[in-house]
Amino acid sequence: MELGEEENKAAWLLGVKTLKIQPYHLPPLGAHDVKVRMKAVGICGSDVHHFKHMRCGNFIVKKPMVIGHECAGTVEEVGSEVKSLQVGNRVALEPGISCSQCHLCKDGRYNLCREMKFFGSPPTNGALANLVVHPANLCFKLPDNVSLEEGAMCEPLSVGIHACRRAKISPQTKVLIMGAGPIGLVTMLAARVFGAPKIIIADIDDSRLSFAKDLGADEIIQVSTNIQDVGEEVVKIQNAMGANVDVSFDCVGFDKTMSTALNATGAGGKVCLVGMGRSEMTIPLTPAAAREVDVIGIFRYRNTWPLCIEFLKSRKIDVKPLITHRFKFTEEQVEEAFETSAQGGNAIKVMFSL
Amino acid sequence: MGSQGGGDGEEVNMAAWLVSINTLKIQPFKLPSLGPHDVRVKMKAVGICGSDVHYLKTMRCADFVVREPMVIGHECAGIIEEVGSEVKSLAPGDRVALEPGISCWRCDYCKEGQYNLCPEMKFFATPPVHGSLANQVVHPEDLCFKLPDNVSLEEGAMCEPLSVGVHACRRANVGPETNVLVMGAGPIGLVTMLAARAFGAPRIVIVDVDGYRLSVAKELGADEIVKVSTNMQDVSEEVEQIQKAMGDGVDVTFDCAGFSKTMSTALSATRAGGKVCLVGMGHNEMTVPLTPAAAREVDVVGVFRYKNTWPLCIEFLRSGKIDVKPLITHRFGFSQKEVEEAFETSAHGGSAIKVMFNL
Repeated sequence: MELGEEENKAAWLLGVKTLKIQPYHLPPLGAHDVKVRMKAVGICGSDVHHFKHMRCGNFIVKKPMVIGHECAGTVEEVGSEVKSLQVGNRVALEPGISCSQCHLCKDGRYNLCREMKFFGSPPTNGALANLVVHPANLCFKLPDNVSLEEGAMCEPLSVGIHACRRAKISPQTKVLIMGAGPIGLVTMLAARVFGAPKIIIADIDDSRLSFAKDLGADEIIQVSTNIQDVGEEVVKIQNAMGANVDVSFDCVGFDKTMSTALNATGAGGKVCLVGMGRSEMTIPLTPAAAREVDVIGIFRYRNTWPLCIEFLKSRKIDVKPLITHRFKFTEEQVEEAFETSAQGGNAIKVMFSL
Repeated sequence: MGSQGGGDGEEVNMAAWLVSINTLKIQPFKLPSLGPHDVRVKMKAVGICGSDVHYLKTMRCADFVVREPMVIGHECAGIIEEVGSEVKSLAPGDRVALEPGISCWRCDYCKEGQYNLCPEMKFFATPPVHGSLANQVVHPEDLCFKLPDNVSLEEGAMCEPLSVGVHACRRANVGPETNVLVMGAGPIGLVTMLAARAFGAPRIVIVDVDGYRLSVAKELGADEIVKVSTNMQDVSEEVEQIQKAMGDGVDVTFDCAGFSKTMSTALSATRAGGKVCLVGMGHNEMTVPLTPAAAREVDVVGVFRYKNTWPLCIEFLRSGKIDVKPLITHRFGFSQKEVEEAFETSAHGGSAIKVMFNL
């Protein structure tokens, strides 16, 4: 296939639940950019949310937008100043281009940059396409023993890694995870690799729980959606832990899960809110704060790709079992893939092979 | 009932006992015997805290329930009357400020330096432990801190509330680059503001519903004061006002009130990557926009009392970096009538910031 002769196509979000594969005209290749042929693209809960609602949080899709941001591919062309990459390199892409000039960027907290241009967050086009153009410094070379699908998994895994860093997971931290969906699972895998000696995971879905057990959870606890059950479930969790819960990750983000996390965590511990279930929550914040249980917030990740790749290369983390469904890049399959992902249940990570 | 050893063998030790709801009685208080590492202190200055008032009104405070009569009060300073056999650091006549809580020193929390979280904590006037609004108390030597000559006993008693502010500023990492917002200009908001300034905060905005308390805060050094309402609908307008008053982003917000409205305002007003420190204990359960804040990596930091703060408080007072004297607005003597009046004054709030007993 010759460069320039093929028309680049992408999956465009045109309206609620309306995705169409259409031509995607790439911007010109800047001096520090590379052109990447996409090979593996995963679907995230936020992609599904954009698909269903044409918005996600404060991000509103006002015009057609290419969807997708969890991706990896091969380098097709490099800009004139690019030294770190060559044509043919297999790379995993970090989606967000920050400004590098604001105080947050210069302080190393570029994930909070207000000028962030992030794949698939309106109005920035995403990566579910044949080709994309991206800064070379956000494309990370994959070792030979790390597949392109694993490369695409670096994105969700990065959320888990960033959460574990912010929550300071160590060989001394006993961990509770609320939610055994894809984010709860990558957080669990990351926590283990950061040394957590004991990990309990809770969910309402028992098949997701048994999946989590297979992936290494020490204990699994089935919980309800009924807020009245918080007290009882906290006791169950604490009994299962056998000691203080040091850090809880709420990978769901509802009143119930946050209330459970706040009450279950030991004095001096942390609750890390990863999930974005509800904007406003009614929660027992004061009794937790009065035990110096801090609430740590998470927004995406920063400086995580090298570590993710190292964990995958050394097999300290195995993300492959999380990829439960695969689809090809055709109009019909794109729709089916999104429906499957939206369904949840036994669909953990849905992956496109291009 | 006799006293404990020493020269004044005829005097009965009296204390203010919380007997039942809204009922305080000055009655004899028999002291425990003096251990080798204890000292006996003649109380001279005792302040009233919001929690003392809460116990008076409801006989409980959060999970702590007063099941039998208990001596009230915990913000205190006095003069050493007698020292235990192993005491080396203090001598009779020394003027000391007292840190109220005796932790166990055996649990992991204590050993790791988080003794304020010790599950076996015995804290003045937190049931079932007796407080210090009394003629005399017995207390461990290591929790009595000598006051320099230029620091009064009343200032010594103020070390307790000031410690809350100091501990909060440490947990929130306040420094010369931290723009600070304080929700609430009551005694805790004010000591937090004073502590933040001493930690180097370059700009401090303080908000309250009460115009008078705001003017006190301005006199005590707030850069800007903003009057706010109790109406939940006003949050976004107030957030704008606050951000304008700050000029630059809000790095750390101290919620020294602890209600859904103040916490919602705090979470929305704080810049990405900042912290909200929940100091006040207004409501147990709150409805707050936590997720949008967490998704900007605004962390919520909790505080429970303080740890290792007395030496720093005393140094701040000695050097004049902090002046707590203006916070003492009302003074009472130690008599039945005055004790009752003092608590009523404190409960009233308004122009009463810190009510102090002089014994």
